[in-house]
Amino acid sequence: MKTLRFDLLRLPLLGRFLRWRYSRFALQLPLLLLALLALYDGFFGRQLAPKNFATVSVWLHYRGLLVLAVAVAGNLFCAACPLLLVRGPTRFAKRYLPQLSWPTRLRNKYFVIALTLVYLFAYEYWDLWASPWLTAWLIVGYFGAAFVVDALFPEGTFCKYVCPLGNFNFALSTASPSQIGARDPEVCLRCEGKYCVNGRVDTPQGPKTLKEAPTENAPRYPGCETKLYVPQIRSNMDCTFCMNCVRACPYDNVAWGLRWPGLEWVRARYKQDVVWLGVLLYFAGFMNAFGMIPAYYSLAEGLSRLLGTRSEALLLGSIYLLWTGLGVGLTLGVSVLADRVSGRRDRPWRSLRRWGIAYFPMAFAMWAGHYAFHFLTGWASIVPVAQQALLHLGLPLGQPDWTLAALVPENWLYPLQVAIIYLGLAGASYTLFARAKREGATAGAAVIFAYLLILATLTLWVLAQPMEMRGTLLLSPST
Amino acid sequence: MRGVLILVPLLLLLLAACQPKGPSPLGAEVAFDPNPPLLGPNRITIRVDTKKKLSELKVVGDMTHAGMVPVEAEARQVSPGLWETQDFKFTMRGDWVITLEAKDSSGKRYQQEVRITVP
Ligand code: SF4
Ligand code: SF4
Repeated sequence: MKTLRFDLLRLPLLGRFLRWRYSRFALQLPLLLLALLALYDGFFGRQLAPKNFATVSVWLHYRGLLVLAVAVAGNLFCAACPLLLVRGPTRFAKRYLPQLSWPTRLRNKYFVIALTLVYLFAYEYWDLWASPWLTAWLIVGYFGAAFVVDALFPEGTFCKYVCPLGNFNFALSTASPSQIGARDPEVCLRCEGKYCVNGRVDTPQGPKTLKEAPTENAPRYPGCETKLYVPQIRSNMDCTFCMNCVRACPYDNVAWGLRWPGLEWVRARYKQDVVWLGVLLYFAGFMNAFGMIPAYYSLAEGLSRLLGTRSEALLLGSIYLLWTGLGVGLTLGVSVLADRVSGRRDRPWRSLRRWGIAYFPMAFAMWAGHYAFHFLTGWASIVPVAQQALLHLGLPLGQPDWTLAALVPENWLYPLQVAIIYLGLAGASYTLFARAKREGATAGAAVIFAYLLILATLTLWVLAQPMEMRGTLLLSPST
Repeated sequence: MRGVLILVPLLLLLLAACQPKGPSPLGAEVAFDPNPPLLGPNRITIRVDTKKKLSELKVVGDMTHAGMVPVEAEARQVSPGLWETQDFKFTMRGDWVITLEAKDSSGKRYQQEVRITVP
């Protein structure tokens, strides 16, 4: 495939490791152990967010390292996701439970978009970032949901249609500099079993798909659980980097190739639901950062006086609805306008689908800028919190040094965030104009660009405000 | 199998009930000067029951958000039961959890948390 350059699977050690059938388990195990430590400290450790392994590891390190990994390599956190270790127990449970198929109407991203919005509301309302105990419950909830969905529905359903975190990773990894693809598409044309998606069993008569040989007692290699067909992959969307396809292909024809970061924004055609995912992630990311600055509290106070209520649920919900509604409405309107100036008349949804890919670089920059701030201000704090949690477990590790925190001087943070936002805007502009040039709609791209410029300016303004590290005490849910 | 399916949620419910136990409660009265506190140095006075016979008292400030370096200051006893720290520096606006960590002459530990917002 021309868009993929160097194949990382050709690297001697990495290639051998990823072809090994237990490689994913080897990646999942360390994250499972960290999750268990987070559960232990979250439930039994000190209930103070900066001094608890659950809150520090989940809200600083997991999120920070996730965007870093996506930016420099790919969706590595889905590859090493410990949630899928429920697979052993779910295989057992499947024997006793009815097997359902995921409803056709939900085979898109709308359900997961709704879940993501609910999750982000819960994050603010219950101050999940400030509570080790709730953070531990969130981890339990994730494992529980993965278990239930995986036990009742076909494998891959949870990752593709339910997991907000996975879909967040999918959306961000559209920026990544690597992607799965076929080494030689000609080989795929001749491939009889399409094993990368159907799975492979090595029978004495040769390779068969899992369906063709359901009971054969021979090495079995599952195919792609999210049903991606390797020679047709043009995007990282829905790819968990599980490398099942690499192991299932009997012709060693799967590549993990390098590509230009963000190249897929220019070439891929996303479905409507995927475009919505990108748009909403941008506006939700903005809201997530906006919730940390004084302007949010002034707005909440003003709304509180206007509505005559101190209910945080109502105030937060109203601000969320207002912002998301305004964002969606404006974005649709601007997309229609862009179509009109380039001589097209289409339905608003179609216009959004045409122009919506430009929100992916913006969403990536928004979240990366925000998470980079938290990660860089507190990255070294993982050392004392891990030390303290292990001390509780009885390991003699000495006294934690609580002065460990920042990775870079504080005055570097804003310039770094500005650089990330500019990069996002540059990516969005390139995407817009490259696609528009192909379709002869450059005037329309200029309209969208002007809108994105306003959004980027607003984002920079939010990031420039003093971060208040949240007002958990200002608005109590009971008031 | 059914037993496991029942046991797991029960164990999870038990976990939900587990809240960690810490040192004994200090039961002190804490005052900030100025109140509400400001960015920079602040005076914190702590009034403790003299029966507790404290030998040391440390004031530790953490933000409610993970990732910030805590602020620490030793308090000194200015009169029986009255402790004070002059140089407690709030480094950021926002919500803080002030932890009073004390020890008495027999080595028994006490702790108290106070939540405060630096506007
Ligand atoms: S990647 Fe391998 S298994 Fe998939 S279609 Fe091509 S040759 Fe067949
Ligand atoms: S099997 Fe599917 S999800 Fe896994 S790496 Fe291959 S294409 Fe991606």
